[in-house]
Amino acid sequence: MTFSFLLRRIGYGLLLMLGVVILNFLLIRLAPGDPAIVIAGEMGGATEEMLAQIREDYGLNQPLLTQLWIYVSSIAQGDLGESFFFNQPVAKLISMRIGPTILLVISAQALSILIGVCLGVLAARKPNGIMSGFVSVFATIGYAVPVFWTGIMLIIVFASALPIFPVEGMQSVRLRDAGPVVKTLDVLHHLVLPAFTLAIIYLAQYARLSRASMLDVLGSDYIRTARAKGASERSVLFRHALRNAALPILTVAGLQFGNLISGALLVETVFNWPGMGRLAFDSILRRDYPTIMGVLFFASAMVVIANILTDISYRWADPRLRGRT
Amino acid sequence: MTALLDISDLHVTFNTRHGRVTALDSVSLHVNAGETLGVVGESGCGKSITALSVMGLIPAPPGKIAGGSIKLNGEELTTASPARLRALRGAEAAMIFQEPMTSLNPVFTVGEQIAEAIMLHQKASHDQAFKQAIALLDRVGIPSPDTRARDYPHQLSGGMRQRVMIAMAVSCRPKLLIADEPTTALDVTVQAQIFDLLNEIQRDFGAAIILITHDMGAIAEMADRVAVMYAGRVIESARADDVLDHPQHPYAHGLIDCIPNVGKGDTSLKEIPGVVPPLHLLGDGCAFAARCAHADARCTREKPVLTDHGHHPVACHAIEEARL
Amino acid sequence: MTNQPMTETYIAQSPSREAWRMFRRNLPAVFGLGLLIAIIVITLYGAFLYQGDPFDIVWAPHEPPGVTPEFPLGTDYLGRDIVAGLLMGGGPTLAVGAVAALITMVIGISLGALSGYYGGWVDNLLMRITEFFQVLPALLFAMVLVTLFSPSLWTIAIAIGVVSWPQTARLTRAEFLKIKELEYVTAARAIGARNRRIIWKVILPNAAPPLIVSATLTIGVAILFEAGLSFLGLGDPNVMSWGLMIGANRDYILDAWWPVTFPGLAIFLTVFAVSLVGDGLNDAFNPKLRER
Repeated sequence: MTFSFLLRRIGYGLLLMLGVVILNFLLIRLAPGDPAIVIAGEMGGATEEMLAQIREDYGLNQPLLTQLWIYVSSIAQGDLGESFFFNQPVAKLISMRIGPTILLVISAQALSILIGVCLGVLAARKPNGIMSGFVSVFATIGYAVPVFWTGIMLIIVFASALPIFPVEGMQSVRLRDAGPVVKTLDVLHHLVLPAFTLAIIYLAQYARLSRASMLDVLGSDYIRTARAKGASERSVLFRHALRNAALPILTVAGLQFGNLISGALLVETVFNWPGMGRLAFDSILRRDYPTIMGVLFFASAMVVIANILTDISYRWADPRLRGRT
Repeated sequence: MTALLDISDLHVTFNTRHGRVTALDSVSLHVNAGETLGVVGESGCGKSITALSVMGLIPAPPGKIAGGSIKLNGEELTTASPARLRALRGAEAAMIFQEPMTSLNPVFTVGEQIAEAIMLHQKASHDQAFKQAIALLDRVGIPSPDTRARDYPHQLSGGMRQRVMIAMAVSCRPKLLIADEPTTALDVTVQAQIFDLLNEIQRDFGAAIILITHDMGAIAEMADRVAVMYAGRVIESARADDVLDHPQHPYAHGLIDCIPNVGKGDTSLKEIPGVVPPLHLLGDGCAFAARCAHADARCTREKPVLTDHGHHPVACHAIEEARL
Repeated sequence: MTNQPMTETYIAQSPSREAWRMFRRNLPAVFGLGLLIAIIVITLYGAFLYQGDPFDIVWAPHEPPGVTPEFPLGTDYLGRDIVAGLLMGGGPTLAVGAVAALITMVIGISLGALSGYYGGWVDNLLMRITEFFQVLPALLFAMVLVTLFSPSLWTIAIAIGVVSWPQTARLTRAEFLKIKELEYVTAARAIGARNRRIIWKVILPNAAPPLIVSATLTIGVAILFEAGLSFLGLGDPNVMSWGLMIGANRDYILDAWWPVTFPGLAIFLTVFAVSLVGDGLNDAFNPKLRER
């Protein structure tokens, strides 16, 4: 892993983020109507005074390039504007919501990779066995179910018939004054259904992918070499094959991250999970553009960071890429 | 004297989309301790299947050992348990493959891969095994072995990788070393080096070698005895000199004629007309009949059996009837 | 000299006919195709038969299914007929899915083809743009677009197309990179074919199989997308759709399970059918991969 690779990768990530900022800027200007009214929000009932203030802050009376410069430099300073609906700075709104989203997305990602890869490896051991059939049927079903509907169905089941998991929110009100351990356990308890709902779609895809990838690797010459050495079947599967089969899985895991955030948006809305998705839903209903644009910015930043981390781990996992630029 | 490896009447079948085909048809071979047996034939004649059968590595399904026996040191392998086969693989019998580029695992260092073979069969700590691996790399002629041991396969040339494969194969001092076309994928200059190395290794470690090849030149250089295979059957078997100087079977003739005689003024390249028939289209007769200038009605009807007709064992009706 | 047949007799068939023959033998794929046709016929024919407005309140709210014969699947929180919603909501859902998939394919194939064929700076630029679009979480970006330009069936279809083309572009590019090295492309160039002709008439037809599979699966993704947007309240408020039914009844799921369950089932069955067809096409075009 070279330092210059890392620098270049981060530099490219920043460039992508600049692109997102410019896109946000253009979207507000392209929207029909007066940008000041758009920014104030149609539901805000903005006074003429407020609109004048917005025009001043965003430099709306100045040339377009100056407006862009004002927008970019204020974002570079961490100022994402003011939400007129929530009456708070957007940056502050998002900083309160980003934690739960990261928790949800990472739990779902971990769950789906872990279970998916296990299922896929089991299926690859017998390409025509029952497990293989189960994996491909399950993958097709998992792909076809709308994620928000899965969530609703789980709520229906767990709200009344089997009330063992909470179906709403992230914390119990009655535990407001409990200690940190109890509070953490409470959050994890609330996390089960949303994380599982989000994991189901991807779990199925990982199972199918890792089955195909394992089958591919198991037919390769170096697996025959491992067997010729006298390696046990377990060592062949988990030591020799899985390390190689993991490479395409890693690629997909990186590419999947954006979709995962999209899915989290729906899942958060269904389960009232207090994250960025829920915030996006609330602000879209109110046409609160500064907040929506802020969420888009931060969600894209999460994808960029995830992509950089994927690249780094890919280089770690595949020695053929190390030292290359 | 009992042979180190004794294969008798081995049948191997594969289920394919053309139905079940016979890949090996009553193959009998033996290898004595310390000697080199050359197995020759074109691609698809069953050389590699024979080797994989000995190693217990026939992919099953679709492959299956349908009959016959394989005895290593008197121990029957066709009925041995998977655990017993694993204990023998790499320790008693080891194998070098054709493709050094793809036969090493890309995500482990070469030292690690050799050390793994050692640890599988000997009581050795990881450090001890890795030190042994470095010594082995040195033995197979890899310069600065202690840094090379920490390299990944993609950092080595094809010849170097094949040396690593040889080091891995001999790491547990096996009594039998099977080399399946070990030089086919390599440059001509490197080929000679690998053969020299195999000869040295054999002298030092006292292992018997089965050399699988389609290169009669390699046979001349390496082998004590030769078995010629065609379409899953052994069709001629004798001392290497006998086969090279007095080939009996028309196919063996053809193979030897294919070696260009550069020094003797004859620069024409010869070839055997036609191709090996696909296994599912093998009929009742001699599989070579369609390509043979001496074939008659009996050849397309009846399979010849390996028999000594005066010189050395050969499976050919034309020789039996002294038409040739 | 020989009476052995050395080669099998092989009746040459056109690739598409061969693929159809393989497809017909694939039981899940045929089932998927049948299911899809059934869904299309039922929604089209049903919408034609059903004369009323699915937004009309026709009965008491939350009538459970199977109680009143006129409303076999019950009514929703306002007392609207669920069967009517399912019949009338299918058409818009399917239409948006198809149009969005079409837009996705047009953008993706055009950019991917240019990128893969010309290479160099064109490829570099287009791939950077593709990467940029992949950084934006698709649903969120689509939500922003739909909100800014006010929801209608057209803006929804366009928004879905605009956010989903990158994968198609990458696939097309990869196919073009592979095919442009093949002999028949060199041959076409040697006889003086123009670039445009080579792209559309020589390479694209040969890249068609994976693109057809991808187009099929894209329809499924677009239907899920439309459902997601409608569920979030960003569907066309004047057009009944399956997603809208779920979104509208979401707050009452603990009082009545049926108003959300049936439309969800309808979406699932449609996407399931589409993806069975897609998988079947994939297998039919790549017989060697069938073992996987």
